[in-house]
Amino acid sequence: MRSWWKNVWPPLVAVIFFLLVWQLLTSLFHIEQWILPAPSDIAREAAAASGGLWEHVWATLKLTVFGFAIGTAIGLVIALILHLIPFLKQALYPLLILSQNIPTIALAPLLMIWFGFGLLPKLIVITLVCFFPVAVAALGGLKQTDPVMMNYMRMIGAGKGQIFAKLELPYALPSIFSGIKIAATYSVMGAIIAEWLGADKGIGYYMMLQKSGYRTDRMFVAIMIIVVLSLLMFGLIALLEKWFVRWKPKQG
Amino acid sequence: MNKETTPALEIDSVSKSFKEKRRTLPVLSDISLTVGQGEFVSIIGPSGSGKSTLLHVIGGLTRPDAGTVRMNGAEVTGQQGHISYMPQQPALFPWRTIEDNVLLAQEVHGPVSREAREDARRWLAKVGLAGFEKAHPHTLSGGMQQRAAFLRALLSPQELMCLDEPFSALDALTRSDMQRWLLDIWEENRRSVLFITHNIEEALLLSSRIYVFSSRPAAVLHAIDVPFPRPRREEVTEAPEFLQLKRQLSEWMREEQRKMQAAQQGGSRL
Ligand SMILES: Nc1ncnc2c1ncn2[C@@H]1O[C@H](COP(=O)(O)OP(=O)(O)OP(=O)(O)O)[C@@H](O)[C@H]1O
Ligand SMILES: [Mg+2]
Repeated sequence: MRSWWKNVWPPLVAVIFFLLVWQLLTSLFHIEQWILPAPSDIAREAAAASGGLWEHVWATLKLTVFGFAIGTAIGLVIALILHLIPFLKQALYPLLILSQNIPTIALAPLLMIWFGFGLLPKLIVITLVCFFPVAVAALGGLKQTDPVMMNYMRMIGAGKGQIFAKLELPYALPSIFSGIKIAATYSVMGAIIAEWLGADKGIGYYMMLQKSGYRTDRMFVAIMIIVVLSLLMFGLIALLEKWFVRWKPKQG
Repeated sequence: MNKETTPALEIDSVSKSFKEKRRTLPVLSDISLTVGQGEFVSIIGPSGSGKSTLLHVIGGLTRPDAGTVRMNGAEVTGQQGHISYMPQQPALFPWRTIEDNVLLAQEVHGPVSREAREDARRWLAKVGLAGFEKAHPHTLSGGMQQRAAFLRALLSPQELMCLDEPFSALDALTRSDMQRWLLDIWEENRRSVLFITHNIEEALLLSSRIYVFSSRPAAVLHAIDVPFPRPRREEVTEAPEFLQLKRQLSEWMREEQRKMQAAQQGGSRL
């Protein structure tokens, strides 16, 4: 507990200091609220939670979790298939990398045209954002298996399936989790982008609405919520990782 | 064929070179050796001569360029899963507890029974790892990890044990403890063992026969039978014949070392 506190207090102090400076500057220079609201204004607005804010948060959260789960699952399946069939990996890995050079922002409107404004195109956007870090991290982890352990398993007569289950997969777990953690934070971003392009609820939609009303304070509330959601997703996966990779030696 | 007289392991004229970017590195040159049923056989040879490579050939990891490996009369060249093996580096799996590591080889060959698990715990206590059953390998010292890897080989279901310098990471005292202890259990169970070591005294104490390898490419220089009766006690290390053999082996090893250094210097001058 004490060591936890030791890690937490420096950034906490930094944040508080930053907010104080912000508060002081806005009142000192009489900055208009629609240009830059003071932290206290934002906090008041967040506490009021007007405009059906929580419904929007809930909608985004559902979309994020759903899309993240699908994206991660697809990423893992792709990694598994490419790992088990080296020829496929050779053929498809470059395409996988290439797919990431297509900007999501450009792809999303096309998806809306093809699939309408329902749930499907939004899930596709999040999946596209999420599967890649998972697939690449998993493939990297599966490839790096320790050669000495691998030789040992082969010498004692372990089959392909056993080598995968007892060696390659556990060995790759830390890398897989680092990929999933990245995907978890990306998934919130993916959901917001999807909602910008066509939705009737969600934080992304709420942002568009407040932007047209010059409600800068509410925009900041939305940003805050996005940050908190991303942190939540990340924290959840980090917890899962801690449980699954208990054996890992602690650094330092 | 009679099981009593068919050797547990027969290596017949095995050769192997590694090919690397147009260069070929001959490592094993026409090696033949035999491990009889229930025999304890050692290999000693200079570092880098190809001893570990020979074990990889026996275990089916590396295909020899020429020659055959037979076990109990059947050819098994290039086949995996016939030996119980302790690699030169412990290669314990970091996510497994010590107990689960020790049981790994059994697990690969079928479900692990409760008796096997209890057996493993008893053995762990015997090698001084009591209390570490549920520990993960990174919390153990190098010597403790080596003992766990040794147990993993000992508890493997395969009859023939191939041990690659099993005691190299142990201090002198623990080492001699483990030697005596290996001697005891071997004399009790009489498993067939192929044992690689750099330690001449260790080889003489434990083995029925010793093969002396040349420097790379490894060839069998000498095969000597160790005549001391069993069960052996540690006092045998003070017997005049023992010292005589030890001197002889040291002489051969030093000669090989000299040849290797000369070859290296010749190589670097080129
Ligand atoms: N897979 C490989 N590819 C290329 N060269 C190899 C390979 N494995 C081993 N060698 C080479 O073969 C030679 C013999 O190696 P090996 O590990 O068998 O020696 P060793 O007798 O076990 O030595 P030590 O006593 O130091 O363990 C070395 O020069 C090594 O560089
Ligand atoms: Mg070796």
